[in-house]
Amino acid sequence: MNDIARPDFAPASPNEAPLVSVKDLHVRFSTPKGPVHAVRGVSFDLGRERLGIVGESGSGKSQTGRALLRLTAGNGTIEANNMTFDGMDLMQASEKTMQSIRGSRISMIMQDPKYSLNPVMTVGAQIAESCRRHEAISKKDAKQRSLAMLETVRIREPEKVYNLYPHQVSGGMGQRIMIAMMLITNPQVMIADEPTSALDVTVQMQVLALLDDMVRERGMGLVLISHDLHLVSSFCDRVLVMYGGRIMETLDAKRLDQAQHPYTKGLLNCLPRLDGSHDDLPVLKRDPAWLTEGEAIGERSL
Amino acid sequence: MMIDIKDLCITFGSGHNQIHAVKNASLSVPEGESYGLVGESGSGKSTILRAMVGINAQITGSIIVDGQALESKRTVASRKHMQMVFQDPYGSLHPRKTVNDTLSEPLVIHKLGDRDDRIIRILNEVGLGPEFRFRYPHQLSGGQRQRVAIARALILEPRVILLDEPTSALDVSVQAEILNLLSALRKTHKLTYIMVSHDLAVVGHLCSKIAVMNRGEIIEEMTEEQMRSGKVKHDYTRQLWTASHGYSREALENFKEFA
Amino acid sequence: MSDTSIKQDSGLVAWLLADFPQNAFQARCQRAYIGWLSFKTNPIAMLGLIIVAFLCLVALFAPWIAGGDGNTQELSNRLQPPSMEHWFGTDELGRDVFARIVWGSRVTLYIIFLVSIIVMPIGLIVGTASGLLGGVFDKILMRITDIFLAFPRLILALAFVAVLGPGLENAVLAIALTTWSPYARLARAETLTLRSSEYIMAAEIMGASRIRILFAHIMPMCLSSTIVRLTLDMAGIILTAAGLGFLGLGAQPPLAEWGAMIATGRDFLLDQWWVPTIPGIAILIVSLGFNLLGDGLRDVLDPRNSGGH
Repeated sequence: MNDIARPDFAPASPNEAPLVSVKDLHVRFSTPKGPVHAVRGVSFDLGRERLGIVGESGSGKSQTGRALLRLTAGNGTIEANNMTFDGMDLMQASEKTMQSIRGSRISMIMQDPKYSLNPVMTVGAQIAESCRRHEAISKKDAKQRSLAMLETVRIREPEKVYNLYPHQVSGGMGQRIMIAMMLITNPQVMIADEPTSALDVTVQMQVLALLDDMVRERGMGLVLISHDLHLVSSFCDRVLVMYGGRIMETLDAKRLDQAQHPYTKGLLNCLPRLDGSHDDLPVLKRDPAWLTEGEAIGERSL
Repeated sequence: MMIDIKDLCITFGSGHNQIHAVKNASLSVPEGESYGLVGESGSGKSTILRAMVGINAQITGSIIVDGQALESKRTVASRKHMQMVFQDPYGSLHPRKTVNDTLSEPLVIHKLGDRDDRIIRILNEVGLGPEFRFRYPHQLSGGQRQRVAIARALILEPRVILLDEPTSALDVSVQAEILNLLSALRKTHKLTYIMVSHDLAVVGHLCSKIAVMNRGEIIEEMTEEQMRSGKVKHDYTRQLWTASHGYSREALENFKEFA
Repeated sequence: MSDTSIKQDSGLVAWLLADFPQNAFQARCQRAYIGWLSFKTNPIAMLGLIIVAFLCLVALFAPWIAGGDGNTQELSNRLQPPSMEHWFGTDELGRDVFARIVWGSRVTLYIIFLVSIIVMPIGLIVGTASGLLGGVFDKILMRITDIFLAFPRLILALAFVAVLGPGLENAVLAIALTTWSPYARLARAETLTLRSSEYIMAAEIMGASRIRILFAHIMPMCLSSTIVRLTLDMAGIILTAAGLGFLGLGAQPPLAEWGAMIATGRDFLLDQWWVPTIPGIAILIVSLGFNLLGDGLRDVLDPRNSGGH
């Protein structure tokens, strides 16, 4: 299904068109308790960079990621003025086209590998399957590529791990396997939804380093969705802060301390610091006005 | 010392498959202080807490709380002095019991009177008004559930509260509120805490002394000054400290495998 | 809907939907009400409820609906087809089939009631105790459960009849004793999952005794699935009772039990179809009603749905 020629990977230049462009995205769900407006007019561009989307639970960040791949649940509707990927209109694309894009040109990794890996298949078989679903290659070639991929994600003894089942691998390794599975098709965009939340802090760093390499070496665009503002700001290039389905602020990750929006500032302030102070943490005061804001701060200044 | 643990060893299983979850752990906590246990998953930190409340049976070594050595068989009365708050606010409250049911149960078990008064008072203390008294857990937010869990731990007026990752499952803004609450309660009631977490910043904020665990052993005890400066002795501790400051490629180059 | 009716409704409904219940009674009523609202959205489940409710009403008002006791014989009037006088016709002894169906509903309810009060407590207690206590206790109880599970119902019923004499109660007892085992297994399986929950651990840390944990913590969680399972099994129980009646092991003549009616009426199936067929249809409808009700209850009562995220 890869009849659309993919561009060669070269370092991003400032005048390049964004890989993904989203304008005024809305996601609504109809629930027995009434309609839920999960994403309210989100707009952003993604280039060959690491973009972080940060928010608390209920902020709409995961739904935004899913909407990009049109993976919203059955009772949800996606509306957008514009949602393009590499020149293609994702809103108008047929389901068949979307299926050919998912996993091969836009990939997604999720939080807990325990739940995303098929428990009754060996991990190697799953990686190979991912490969063969999008390309017509032989089983033998798929296995070779899978083994190479396992090495790329820095798993020692790939032959041994290839034949393991998901419950036999640790959390960190499971996540690396997920990354291998999602990268084997050389996607242009990777959406990572809380990929490291279930991992220990040193393993988190290793997995992020892996993603970092992938972005650099392959010229991939990465969307990192997380609730961990600290982590996202230390890893990503740009950060979108979401609250109540809207983007409150768009920032350069290095300039987080210059955040302007009270929500971002409040969120930063209520994080406990490693400086040994035991004073009470300032509590975030939620301003109801944030739920009805129009334009987000930061977009103007970019 | 309120809590004195010496040479604690905890094992699971037997014979060939025996797992040594905790190896010769020793720590002591003075009354009214807050002690942190930090480590990655599988380090044994939660196992120590569970052993303290008598959940895992296979232990050697001594655990002395408030002058009393803890045996593996606990009497009901001895339960009054030490309570626990769990990580998952969604799992630690019985889904079919209202807040009132959950809070009155310990009072019934320990035959304490004035139940209505005590319940209303404790709800106020944890920042929930009496209007929450008859709600079910699914009608409460994560932060509210955790407050109920804290109320439940507090209602028996214990001397020691064990905190097993009490804010890991909460949003950052809610975490701040709960940490402030825990801090205030400790000062008001002169409670002694042992807090377990994987998050060094959270533990550092609440605790005055922190033990770092790896693979069942306590590697190092950090003081507040060491938390601030990062001048720690052990490589593993330094690695943990560095990783807690956020992603850093240069730092990662120096990381070693300790697992 | 007029304005006044909205205002009238709002008192009770507001109380049932209030955000902050004022007392335990209100909290429990609210929970039931919300369960009811959820149940109402399922039309098939509502149909099941209507059928079961209808059965109960018919049984309750039997003397007024049918008069007499369904056993008045009129031999000169035997095997009459349905007519204005006898809505379902008459059977081989000239009894009004309609009256016998109506009175038979009481028997059906009696069977259901007897089986439930034996099966539910035994199954729940054995299962939860076994799951919670574990060890040797668990093994012994499960082997006892296996023994009862292995017993074919008919053989046990025959044995009971041989010892105690034929009769409806003995047949029901036989059914109950062969039905409780799966409930024990179900309760045990649920208990094993629940046992490691943090709220159980919290109860232990509080000093709750095992008995308290069993009855106050674990059983309420197992109750819903047991009720659902029982409702779904009800159809089978009614049919088994009918089958036993058919074999002459259950209800004895002249008791108007639907199964017995089919048994005595089967000789007349071809020419006077109404004699065995109409009781058969009654059994079908009631079984269906319980099945649909059980399905609906499962959607509402399943702990995974009602807030156990």
